[in-house]
Amino acid sequence: MKKIISFVVVIIALIAMTIYATMTGSIQVDTLSFIKTVFDPNDETMQVIRDLRFPRIIVAIFAGAALSVAGVLLQAIMRNPLADAGVIGISAGSAFVTTFLLTMFPAYFMYGPLFSFIGGAIACFLVFSLSFKSGLNPLKIILVGIAIAAMFTGLREAFVTICGYMGVMVDGTVSSNLSMRTWNEVEIIVFYGVIGLIVATLLAKWCNLLILQDKTAKSLGFNVTRARVIIAAVAVLLAGVATATVGVISFVGLLIPHIARRLVGHDHKVLIPFSALAGGLLILMADTLGRTLLAPQEIPASTIMAIIGGPFLIFLLRREKN
Amino acid sequence: MHIHNVVFSHDGTRNQLDGVSASVQTGKITTIIGPNGCGKSTLLSLVSRNNKPVTGTVQLEQKDVIDYKPKEFAKKLAIVYQQNDIPPQITVEQLVSYGRLPHQTFMKRNDTEDNEAVTWALTCTNLLHKRANDVSALSGGERQRVWIAMALAQRSEILCLDEPTTYLDIYYQIELLELVKQLNADYGLTIVMVLHDINQAMQYSDDIILMKDGKMVAQGHPKDVITTDMMQQVYDVRVAFTEDAEIGRYMIPLSI
Repeated sequence: MKKIISFVVVIIALIAMTIYATMTGSIQVDTLSFIKTVFDPNDETMQVIRDLRFPRIIVAIFAGAALSVAGVLLQAIMRNPLADAGVIGISAGSAFVTTFLLTMFPAYFMYGPLFSFIGGAIACFLVFSLSFKSGLNPLKIILVGIAIAAMFTGLREAFVTICGYMGVMVDGTVSSNLSMRTWNEVEIIVFYGVIGLIVATLLAKWCNLLILQDKTAKSLGFNVTRARVIIAAVAVLLAGVATATVGVISFVGLLIPHIARRLVGHDHKVLIPFSALAGGLLILMADTLGRTLLAPQEIPASTIMAIIGGPFLIFLLRREKN
Repeated sequence: MHIHNVVFSHDGTRNQLDGVSASVQTGKITTIIGPNGCGKSTLLSLVSRNNKPVTGTVQLEQKDVIDYKPKEFAKKLAIVYQQNDIPPQITVEQLVSYGRLPHQTFMKRNDTEDNEAVTWALTCTNLLHKRANDVSALSGGERQRVWIAMALAQRSEILCLDEPTTYLDIYYQIELLELVKQLNADYGLTIVMVLHDINQAMQYSDDIILMKDGKMVAQGHPKDVITTDMMQQVYDVRVAFTEDAEIGRYMIPLSI
């Protein structure tokens, strides 16, 4: 019952937030004229909304969904409630590799999502292999992850600075900002996002089994390593494609799964779809807040998430100790 | 099941198992005993394929256990570990139904057969009335029975138990060993377990494997293996034996 109510509330909130986000911003539309303009394709206001606001809203929702589901998957394979693509450096790996390769080979811009996947996979592999010996201890993973994240963030900043010094144009795809999103990017994130989310839902049963200890899961004839690698690949795909379109946004994958577990329980068959919806809602809210709070100035969604997410991680770490 | 001269090392420097050969008779209760660190749990981990021997083989039905496919092997042998983390928010029935995994593939599953096996496993372990309860709300003895029920749902011929009584009160220890005995008697389940308590091992086993320092010292009927000389040699403890009208031969430690 609680599950159904939670789903209904999140879906209604998501629809309401989408409508609100469409109507507010530097061009204000009231309800009546909004309904009028929706059915008039030649209306100037409508064109602005269609070309600028709709892509932004769709990208925000899908990025949020992808990042929070990536968080759920990473937490399942690492048996660790603190894993998040942003916090443990997967997004930073994606961002660095994408920026580096697209600046060096701008002609291959259509491979952006692939580059992003490769970068995320490298970071994920590093975190995994460096913390596996400690039995994937939650705090150890976070420490290793923060180091990896710092390293890739540093590499990317150094690269951008060097390029600026040498007068090379740096590819701007990966910037932690949701403004100026185009329908092109909508296509990318919707295509890969939908694939990733569907596969993630199909892998829900594996995620449930990974909650068992490895030796127990193994004794049931379950191939633990294969499941981990496949689920990790899906998580990296989701985190990578989100990073490729909206840049690094941390903490969504930490906050949403945690709240979602409280509302709908630990069964991944329910947890994954719910986290996708709630994650979409959260980033859409963060972005809408960011662009309306100090309009026409914009606060990036990633900044808002960092402000909410930082204290939340500390809160979780404190609980973890008890 | 035959264990041929297995050598195993966790770190490559010290051998936890140093050339152990033993056998497990079908339909019997075999118990591995020995002092701490003698390699008894390690031997069980090779039998259950959780670890691979460095050299030597473990054969089940004339086939090396390593050569079985994971699910195929899980249909032959189930294991319950000493300590198990309980997943959050899971009912007894859900957890026990995980034991059906070896019989399911991504596309194919037989729900009737699965339900029958789960109900049977819950009945055997006397948990039928608790099937809808949350596992974390159960007592220690009940939790251990849930893990046994999960292993039973695998419908394997062999059931391994790694120190199943260690964290239990004496009441639940006896309850659990009686359950094991009953499963063996009623369903012909082959049992391989590791026990700490020598008297319990003596009382409930058909066959004893006695180990020390990674080697097997003796294997055979409890009364032939658990003797004054052997206890002195393996545990460094002086013991005496006495007869009890109800349970028979009983060991009393005298001094070190």
